[in-house]
Amino acid sequence: MRKHAVVVFLWIAVLPLAAQSYKAPRTPDGHPDLQGIWQVMNTAAVNLEDHVAILDMPAGRSIIVDPPDGKIPYTPAAAQQQKENFKNRAKADPLNVCYIPGVPRVMYLPFPIQIVQTPKFVLMASEFAHTLRRVFMDGTKHPDVALFWIGDSRGHWDGETLVVDTANNLPDTWLDRSGNFHSDALHIVERITRTDADTLTYQATLDDPQVYTRPWTIRMLLYRHKEPNATLLEYECNAYLEDAAKERNK
Amino acid sequence: MKKTLNLMVATVTAAALIMFAPIPGASQQKGGKGKGGPPGAEQYGPYYAAPAKPGEPVGRTPDGQPDMQGFWTPRFNQAIFEVQDHPTAQPGIGAGKGAIVDPPDGRIPYRPEAAAKAKELLAKQIYLEPEAHCYVSGVPHAAYQQFGYQIVQPAGYVLFLTEYAHTYRAIPTDGRPHISPNVKLFRGDSVGKWDGGTLVIDTTNQNGKTWFDMAGNFTTQAIHVVERITPVDTNNINYEAVVDDATIYTQPWKISGQLGRHPDQNMELMEFACVEGNQDLVHYTEGVGGKAKEKPR
Repeated sequence: MRKHAVVVFLWIAVLPLAAQSYKAPRTPDGHPDLQGIWQVMNTAAVNLEDHVAILDMPAGRSIIVDPPDGKIPYTPAAAQQQKENFKNRAKADPLNVCYIPGVPRVMYLPFPIQIVQTPKFVLMASEFAHTLRRVFMDGTKHPDVALFWIGDSRGHWDGETLVVDTANNLPDTWLDRSGNFHSDALHIVERITRTDADTLTYQATLDDPQVYTRPWTIRMLLYRHKEPNATLLEYECNAYLEDAAKERNK
Repeated sequence: MKKTLNLMVATVTAAALIMFAPIPGASQQKGGKGKGGPPGAEQYGPYYAAPAKPGEPVGRTPDGQPDMQGFWTPRFNQAIFEVQDHPTAQPGIGAGKGAIVDPPDGRIPYRPEAAAKAKELLAKQIYLEPEAHCYVSGVPHAAYQQFGYQIVQPAGYVLFLTEYAHTYRAIPTDGRPHISPNVKLFRGDSVGKWDGGTLVIDTTNQNGKTWFDMAGNFTTQAIHVVERITPVDTNNINYEAVVDDATIYTQPWKISGQLGRHPDQNMELMEFACVEGNQDLVHYTEGVGGKAKEKPR
């Protein structure tokens, strides 16, 4: 019995190491090959925190791994703002008027993402509104000229892991449909690791002293679309919004 | 500080949209010579630099494709305003040359009813111009889009990353077939193959909601486009496209133009947030998503 317990303990302890020992195939320039069409199977797009279901918003577990309570460490004022956002979400959610989703929201929308790599860039193309993330891999710094809806992303390789630093974020994007938010002080560090042939482990640490009391971290899996005919189609949100408005005005 | 600068960028974006949109009643351009570009570029039209200098021989990507990677500026006369020759100025559209080389008269070979529809769109329904609504451009319009684009060639793909509306066009070169004809897309479905030193892109599945330009030259879902893209040297790419649609044209027609490499090696595309700052539709009626009470005439 005791021996059995030890074996179980060892198995649990070894599991993360086993996951890390996977070595991804390489691109021609020798970096881990993360290319393919990927998508989450979670409800982070509804709410990053634990949430019960309401109409059109399925239930889900928190993807926040730090702090351990799985909640965003808002300042009191920001916590109040999030409640207001939730109440007003039908009108206030920037995605409802088809704005660029921002980082990290674009990564867990219910739309596929195609990753392609060249020596100078990692590109992440979402099917949602043709949104494109361009991660510069040439060692350059964030520009000090402007804020962007999709932020400014510069990356480097840390062994098996793509590390992406994103700054220059406009404050106008949300993190999910529940009104979780940030300010223009948001700084994101993502760590993306291919943990087996068909899975990416995605981790992002969000820091924003104007809104959060401490940095916090989300972690989730992205799954490969293995259908042989998988391809990105398109979701031209603003065009459909206009179509819907025309339909209503008929 | 950052915020202030961002507002500047947003303003510039909005101004750019207004500038490029065919605003009804806007002052007409005279004589077909556009604005923009460096001094001496007038003869090439708006946004166009002089032809790029000859470059080095074309290199190869790791998987053996002719290497076209980098930032490119399209040179297609004034096709961005109107794809066919347009000797007469219209509101917002100066007289100028298009990019059609066949038929030799430089005009789209419309069937009579289609010609009438294009004329009607230009004269009375210019507020339907798709890019004033921030729709992504179709094919081949995306090839002569203003602001240019970056070409990226990861294994098995050629990607065109356009600054306009922060969008992209991904063309697989792995020999896959077109998707089902039941699926129609703004961008259509493009498949590519290398024919020696020429990238041949076949595009079907367009949704018929895009135009070739700002002048009412519309498309239908029957459009079939074959583009031939040939890098000449490291600074120059030749481009041509044959457009076929038997439902509205009497014959296929061909456009031709050049892409010149952007001289700035440290060039980075900026974010063109179109929907987020769009002021164009303020000029247009509520029925099409604008705020104007009256239909523009």
